[in-house]
Amino acid sequence: MAITKIQSESLNLSDTYDFTGTVTGAGGVNTPAFEAYITGGDQAITHDTSTKVTFNAKVYDTNSDFNTSTNRFTPTVAGRYLVYTDINCQADIAQLNRFTVEIRKNGSSNKYLSNYFNNNPARISHLSVCQAIDMNGSSDYLEIWVKLEYASSGNLFVTNGSARSGFGAYKIIT
Amino acid sequence: MAQLSTKIKLYAAANGVASVDFSSDVMLQDDSNGKGAYIKEWNLDIAKPTDTQLASYETAATTTEANNVVIATRKAAYGSWESQLEEIYDNGIDSWKARIAQVKTDNPKS
Repeated sequence: MAITKIQSESLNLSDTYDFTGTVTGAGGVNTPAFEAYITGGDQAITHDTSTKVTFNAKVYDTNSDFNTSTNRFTPTVAGRYLVYTDINCQADIAQLNRFTVEIRKNGSSNKYLSNYFNNNPARISHLSVCQAIDMNGSSDYLEIWVKLEYASSGNLFVTNGSARSGFGAYKIIT
Repeated sequence: MAQLSTKIKLYAAANGVASVDFSSDVMLQDDSNGKGAYIKEWNLDIAKPTDTQLASYETAATTTEANNVVIATRKAAYGSWESQLEEIYDNGIDSWKARIAQVKTDNPKS
């Protein structure tokens, strides 16, 4: 390394470094991280009722922070997390009139998005919600809730399968 | 079993409230813990119904929901306003009335 890169016992931060070895102890990691999905059948949703989505299987969960019984993500490391969910929902007939997905932190709505079909109902719809959320690493938890409304009748579902409906998060390096 | 929202609409109607907005007037929630839907928030001026009061609307709510299915089926069979206007123009109103009457006969309400 050229001596010009070191100035008064520190590195010259405006210079360029080209490492050929391994650097450890620098930067950070994007964990805890998890992704969960619904398996074993679609989740039936009651008309006009906010319902917690039951993600009962995991793709990965680095710190075992997602509980498939309570459907809660309770990260054990404090920090800011990028939280995302993709929800695919459907009606057994073309009767889906309104569809809302929300991320709830500690039981309160943090962010929500809706599709409203204004009485020109659909059969299938999809929403993705994403947000950076600060978590205390102990008691703070996150859940995904949906609310579906039919136009006049029908059965409503959140679609199962890892490629359809998911919930995930990972810690952001700050 | 009838939907909780249907029973609440019937209870509200019986107590002078013509419509219920389930995003502001009454908030229903299901914690997905096997206990089903419940009233999370009640913002109507009339008293919040008891479980017994809601249960008394079970039969009426079931009928309402069955009729809603019939209404949706009829609506699909009628076709759009545009196609019905064309039908009347092309075939006359008596032909249209006969077809509508047949749809109603084929899909009777409870």
